Amino acid sequence: MPKLLRVALREYKATVKTKGFLLALVLAPILMGGGAIGMAIFESRVDTTDKVLAVIDRSGRVADAIVAAADARNASMLYDDEGRQVAGTYTIDVRTPAAARDEQLLRLSNAVRGGELHAVVEIGPGVLHPRDVGSAGTIAYYAENPAVDDLRSWVARPVNDELRRLRLLEAGVDPADVPDAFDWITPAGLRLVSRDPETGAIGGAERSTELEAILLPIIPVMVLLMMIMMGASPHLQAVTEEKQQRIAEVMLGSIEPFPFMLGKLVGGVGIALTASAVYLVGGILTVEYMGWGAFIPYSLLPWFLVYMVAAVAMFGALGAALGSACNDATEAQNMTLPSILPVMIPIFVLIPVVTEPSSALATGLSLVPLFTPLLMLLRQGTPEGVAAWQPWVGLAGILVTAVIFVWIGGRIFRVGLLSQGTPPKLGTILRWAVRG
Amino acid sequence: MNETATPAVEIERVTKTYGTTTAVDDLSLVVPRGAAYGFIGPNGSGKTTTLRMIMNILYPDRGGVRVFGDTLRGSSTDRIGYMPEERGLYRKMRVRDLLEFYGGLKGNGDVVANVTDWLDRLELAEWADKKIETLSKGMSQKVQFIATVVARPELVILDEPFTGLDPVNTEVIRNAILGLQAEGTTVIFSTHDMSMAEKMCDFIFMIFRGRKVLDGTLSSIQDEYGSDTIRLRTGEGAERLRTLPGIEHVTDFGQVQELRIARDCDPQQLLGRLVGVTTITSFEITRPSLHDIFVRIAGPSATEVTDA
Repeated sequence: MPKLLRVALREYKATVKTKGFLLALVLAPILMGGGAIGMAIFESRVDTTDKVLAVIDRSGRVADAIVAAADARNASMLYDDEGRQVAGTYTIDVRTPAAARDEQLLRLSNAVRGGELHAVVEIGPGVLHPRDVGSAGTIAYYAENPAVDDLRSWVARPVNDELRRLRLLEAGVDPADVPDAFDWITPAGLRLVSRDPETGAIGGAERSTELEAILLPIIPVMVLLMMIMMGASPHLQAVTEEKQQRIAEVMLGSIEPFPFMLGKLVGGVGIALTASAVYLVGGILTVEYMGWGAFIPYSLLPWFLVYMVAAVAMFGALGAALGSACNDATEAQNMTLPSILPVMIPIFVLIPVVTEPSSALATGLSLVPLFTPLLMLLRQGTPEGVAAWQPWVGLAGILVTAVIFVWIGGRIFRVGLLSQGTPPKLGTILRWAVRG
Repeated sequence: MNETATPAVEIERVTKTYGTTTAVDDLSLVVPRGAAYGFIGPNGSGKTTTLRMIMNILYPDRGGVRVFGDTLRGSSTDRIGYMPEERGLYRKMRVRDLLEFYGGLKGNGDVVANVTDWLDRLELAEWADKKIETLSKGMSQKVQFIATVVARPELVILDEPFTGLDPVNTEVIRNAILGLQAEGTTVIFSTHDMSMAEKMCDFIFMIFRGRKVLDGTLSSIQDEYGSDTIRLRTGEGAERLRTLPGIEHVTDFGQVQELRIARDCDPQQLLGRLVGVTTITSFEITRPSLHDIFVRIAGPSATEVTDA
């Protein structure tokens, strides 16, 4: 067996035979699944707390409408068909606007702080015709956490419905004549219509959901991220440990640095392939069993595997090179952030990329080789997809970068493994890379 | 030149620097096949750097190294077994797995059988399935030794093989090394144990401040220094000897004292003077020990000697 494969096999066995690997294999999906379950639990848990909203209506036009809307809501929406309470009551406490505005707001704010009120809404005097009256045409909502508050969202509709009704009346139109004047219709998100290649029939467009547009593309990206973390990231610590324990010197007596490092990378790829096989097979069987097989993006699987192998090699080489420049665990710890930063940057931009997968930013970032594995996979998973040439260009970039990383990493690795004393500066590491 | 006549190692005018420090300076050395070659020298003198260059782990800045006639640069070293000064074993691996892994990397012969054989020879058979981290320091060192020789290399390089070993294990490793040499293996080892080097080595090489200062058989090295050493036993110890004319240096070993005498000092006359100041129970004119030569070169007054 070639030396490189012997090293790879040792690396592979040293990892997959540990309890830690098996634990990670089991725990990772549980944690991720647990997160999803947690979200689902929180989503299904409804807030049934009764809330009191103080209304200061400086316009004198909408308070009654808010009270009426609250009464209507309390009468119809507190219980579901099976009699379970699904919402709390909204009580509207209409306050007369005081001349000392600030004192009144402070008093009511303290009441919110004391728990007597949930929030305070202040209707400006000019809300009926807000365009030219500046702050007099605004509505202010005061609460402990106003940015995320269902009541704030709810109160907007009765206020605006009433204002529109009043504007129609002013225009001489009786709202009763146009009962659907304020009906709001949200466009249904549908996929494009296409012709069935077998039957020739024009197929009905499928409904596009947030699950399909956002969640489904992110799942394979998160799995890929896990694989990179399992297959590539450990190299930094492992190489430092081998250097610190002088194993590297023994190894270099038997194998040259480049195949030594390459063997470690191949081992890392094997670990990632093993873990991904478990996740992919397990995931697909589970999803099929649950009847959601139609959502599995089988066409992405080859790309997932190719990206994974290239990413593990690329980031593994980076980790091994940096690890060889460290003398102990503390130095390796300090190097962890720079080594995983190229992996984390795509995670920071997941949402803007998945929501606008064809934007210039998304396209540009996904063609940066370090980001390609995660971001191109993400874009390919969106319903919109990507132009056919982009994954191939991205893949070419990854492969070239992976080869360069492995080559440079090997040169740094060779010198770094035997270097001792003060940790090298960036300039020194670059010199090792150039001179070998 | 035929294969067997080729030296095991040829080092030609090799220089290696680390930044501004010259670790090895214009070194030339020839290690014949089948020899036991001892590398001695103070800490930091360049021994390990030289060994690493032979192993092709480090590349010389100038000069060349050939092993069995081949320039190894960039190629593998499967004919060499190397045990570095600081031991390097995967602590989580089991003894047998580790030895088979290290042996397999060299790929010479039946590694599995060799591992079993060596574990028996070094009395480690019952530890074969234990993890390295459970072994004592001495056992780990024996495992490291087996890892070095299990692939039956033609050249074995041992950097400080006896450091940290108790006398029993020292004897075990010493016998194993001699056994390898008897089978035709060339052995190079560095050591700070001068008596071990004297007993085991066909040739001794001393490096000091990166330069070769001794190279040859023990006898030839001692000949260079002449019979300027007197080993004696006295009734009153060494103190009374230090002031006598003709004595340059006194080394007191407790039971035995060793005197280095001046070139123009007649040992017979010195004996007469010694009898006058102390009781002499034993008197032997001899050549300097390797230890004495080492201290003369690398000791506080070494500069004069090495520059001479």
